[in-house]
Amino acid sequence: MARWPFLRSFSPGQVRSDVDAEIREEIELYLELRANELEDEGLSPEDARRVAQERFGDAEEIKRSLRKQAKRTRARRETTMTMSGLKQDLAYAIRSFRRSPGFTAVAVATLALALGGNTAIFSVVDAALLQALPFEDHEELVFVNGYHLTNGEVAIRGASFPEFRDWNERSRWVSPMAAVGGVSLSATGGDGAAEQLSTEIVSLDYFDVLLTRPALGRAFFPEEHAEVDAHPVAIISHRLWERRYALDPAALTSEIIINDRPLTIVGIMPEAFQGTDLANGTDLWVPDGLVSLIASPDLLESRGSRFLSVVGRLAPGGTVEEAQAELDVVARDLQATFPQAHEDRFAQVQEFRDGYLGDTGGLLWILMGAGIVLLLIAAANVANLLLVRSHSRTREFVLRRALGAEGSRVAGQLLTESFVLAALGGAAGIGVAVAALRILGPMIPNGALPGYVEAELSSTAFLTSLVVLVLVGLATGLLPAASSARIDIATRLREGSKGSAAVSLRRIRPQHVFVVAQVALALILLVGAGLLTRSFRAQLAVDTGVELEGIIAMRISPPNSRYDTNETLWNFSAELERRLGELPGVEGVSLSSRLPFRGGSSGAYIFREGDSAEERIRFHRHHVTPSYFETLGIELREGRLLNDDDRGDSSGVIVITDAMARRVYPGESAVGKMMSLRPDDGMPVEVVGVIEDVRYRDITTSLMEEANSPDVFFSYWQMPSRTLEVAVRTNSAATVVPAMRTVVSELDPELPIFQLEPLEEGRRTQTATPRFAAFLMSLFSGLAVLLACVGIYGVLAFTVGQRSQEIAIRRAIGASGVRVARAVVGDGLRLTLVGLLLGGAGAVAGSRVLETFLFGVEATDPATFVSVAGGMIAVAVVAAVLPALRAMRRDPAEALNSD
Amino acid sequence: MSGSDLFTGTLDILILRTLQVAPLHGYAIGRVLREGSEGVLSVEEGALYPALHRLEGKGLLEAEWGKTDTGRRAKFYRLTADGEAHLRTETARWAEFSVAVSSILGSETR
Repeated sequence: MARWPFLRSFSPGQVRSDVDAEIREEIELYLELRANELEDEGLSPEDARRVAQERFGDAEEIKRSLRKQAKRTRARRETTMTMSGLKQDLAYAIRSFRRSPGFTAVAVATLALALGGNTAIFSVVDAALLQALPFEDHEELVFVNGYHLTNGEVAIRGASFPEFRDWNERSRWVSPMAAVGGVSLSATGGDGAAEQLSTEIVSLDYFDVLLTRPALGRAFFPEEHAEVDAHPVAIISHRLWERRYALDPAALTSEIIINDRPLTIVGIMPEAFQGTDLANGTDLWVPDGLVSLIASPDLLESRGSRFLSVVGRLAPGGTVEEAQAELDVVARDLQATFPQAHEDRFAQVQEFRDGYLGDTGGLLWILMGAGIVLLLIAAANVANLLLVRSHSRTREFVLRRALGAEGSRVAGQLLTESFVLAALGGAAGIGVAVAALRILGPMIPNGALPGYVEAELSSTAFLTSLVVLVLVGLATGLLPAASSARIDIATRLREGSKGSAAVSLRRIRPQHVFVVAQVALALILLVGAGLLTRSFRAQLAVDTGVELEGIIAMRISPPNSRYDTNETLWNFSAELERRLGELPGVEGVSLSSRLPFRGGSSGAYIFREGDSAEERIRFHRHHVTPSYFETLGIELREGRLLNDDDRGDSSGVIVITDAMARRVYPGESAVGKMMSLRPDDGMPVEVVGVIEDVRYRDITTSLMEEANSPDVFFSYWQMPSRTLEVAVRTNSAATVVPAMRTVVSELDPELPIFQLEPLEEGRRTQTATPRFAAFLMSLFSGLAVLLACVGIYGVLAFTVGQRSQEIAIRRAIGASGVRVARAVVGDGLRLTLVGLLLGGAGAVAGSRVLETFLFGVEATDPATFVSVAGGMIAVAVVAAVLPALRAMRRDPAEALNSD
Repeated sequence: MSGSDLFTGTLDILILRTLQVAPLHGYAIGRVLREGSEGVLSVEEGALYPALHRLEGKGLLEAEWGKTDTGRRAKFYRLTADGEAHLRTETARWAEFSVAVSSILGSETR
């Protein structure tokens, strides 16, 4: 009986009718003979037949029961045979793996690495792309992003309060809609220390949009939003409740001092709710009636102050497209009504997930693709190993066939071996995945993934990898099985144990196809890794104009309430700068409104002398102390830097960047030009100096592009800033950092310090995603190269083994060992070259998907292609050397005498 | 289903015992049982077949189609090695059992 029921030709109908006939015949015979016996005793033939039937009982019932029994017996027998066969196959498989531990280790390791890597990646992708966001019915949630479209360049900027109100009133498909202003406020007083709280200033429907309520207390009342500064209330997060109040219910209704203003806590949010900032979470919510906490209440009416993000829920039956079409109309109406404030201004409706993912989404799909390619390479490798192995076991199979094993029996054996390999590799693969996530998880740089993603092994990833595993097990097992089924015993026995001579490279065989495919796929991954790495390096190499190394930065926000005049602020700042400068080990100190790569921006408009309102120039405003340029290592190009005389009521001066000078005053010197902060020469300022270009934000767009507003520097002593970014240049950060804290708390113990860290951190966060992508891609391609190497080595080693007689004859008739070795290496290189050609074509096509993620390098960068292909050839030669050496060293006499 | 209400096991042992001598077809086995027990164990004669097939299914008997003396095609049953062993242990158990039963019954009648 066949061991694998599905491989057997099988016709149940035939079997059943045979059994029926036999049962009928058997019983008929009994009745006949019994009737004869009764006739002998003197009964008439009719009576004899009748009595025989009576004595027999219900013949039909008995027949039915016999048929049932026959069926049961057959089923039981088949199971026992299959089970014992399977057990035998398993035992045999394990024995044969024990006999070749090298093969087993390589195959299992290959599967484990590829599956583990893939499972780990897929777990992250699953978390980022597929798992639910931490909001009720999150599929209905959308962001409404205001953006400017100038010369085809999109620049997303927040919304202003009046703009949000216009959108909210006129949109039917996004309803409810709410505005969220993410700010950082300082909490003081009570038992807790002074600390900076990430805060959301929210409009009326915020909690309705996100479908949540405080777990304790209440949400904000409508009048708390509508009546400006009338209701000092706040809602706190569960984690703040835990951190600052040790979960004491009395926190509710108590007062918390926020930016020196006492607010009554009216609600505590559920633990799971973290606001819309999923990366950092939110600690405090205040109604937009309290906007004076951060600025003048005029903000509520200012169309130019754009700092709100807008969230909304699609109305029942609404789609993003419908909502978008509706808001397009609103945006155009606003452009017509407010030609200045809404020039080039649009609104974009975006699903929540897309908003959180940003560019990362596309990158994750690419990484997952890379993982799948790696899995394919691994599958090809294992198939190759099994195939090569099944060839070298030809003699064993021939023997077993000759001893009476059916072809299907041998195939079943191979299939079992494949499953055992796949199971071992799968189990080890899950282990690798867990380890990979544990090791790589913490290495995922901050900012590389959306905040809600937690790199944990997902069951979906696990199951998917399991399915892939079973498929791989089948595919890799069936190929050798198919080839073994073709074994013609008689021919093989005649030919001798070494099988046919058909294993020379001159004939294309499946294992050569596998090796070529492996090389090709590995090259594609390598090119991807090479391009991403180059792009990442190019980003690092961008001259930011600032010497980031050696600078410690911190941010403080002296509150309006205690620093209510410019003088108090200046006095505090001057003292702060002086004391920090006197600290031992400090080489330079400066105060400013912004430091590079630390977020935030405040845009404004500036005008050339004589220009009207239409010719405004958008710029980023900086307020800096004169030591700023020296401390940050920014070089002067023309004119002079700001100095200590640029203070108070002296005439306004600015320093601009080289890019701005070239854009605004092309072909002439900017120094000495007059500009103004209001149209028609209102609030004039003089350009006194031009500095080198400095990067504060994005490093991948050209500073000459219109969307990239230039930076303009004002003297801090002429215009102070409420937010103070302090830069301290030092070589001894370990002692200076605590000393900086001490200086601040001596000057004002109530003043929280925020983001005290090396200035390089911000830059690192900005390059986090490309760094992460380049790192993972390199890891994948490294594995791919390793696997391809194993493939090349395996095929060559096998060929050398099979051709040992031929090689021996060549040696015997005078070929040198070197020549033989060269031939073997040549075989390896031929396969590699074919693979490289195919892979190169694939990479040219495939690298286009990377295009949007690349900076400073073309998707078809020839240098990358050439160096990667060169590396692959070098590695292939190494993989070929071992088998070549074996061919060279083999004693010809021994080979010729062996069977 | 089996006609013997006495013991399914009893009929099985008797069948095995019958076949210890020679392979027989169903009618012959039935006749030996009927005549050997002098009608005491008269049951529905058809009950023999489920028992035979069950024993075959268990591997205690094996069956083969052959020819009777008169040239009729018939299914002959033969004891397997397993059947032989089973018969030995069951016979021993039966002997023990019947000694025990008859010693109790015997002491009562005495």
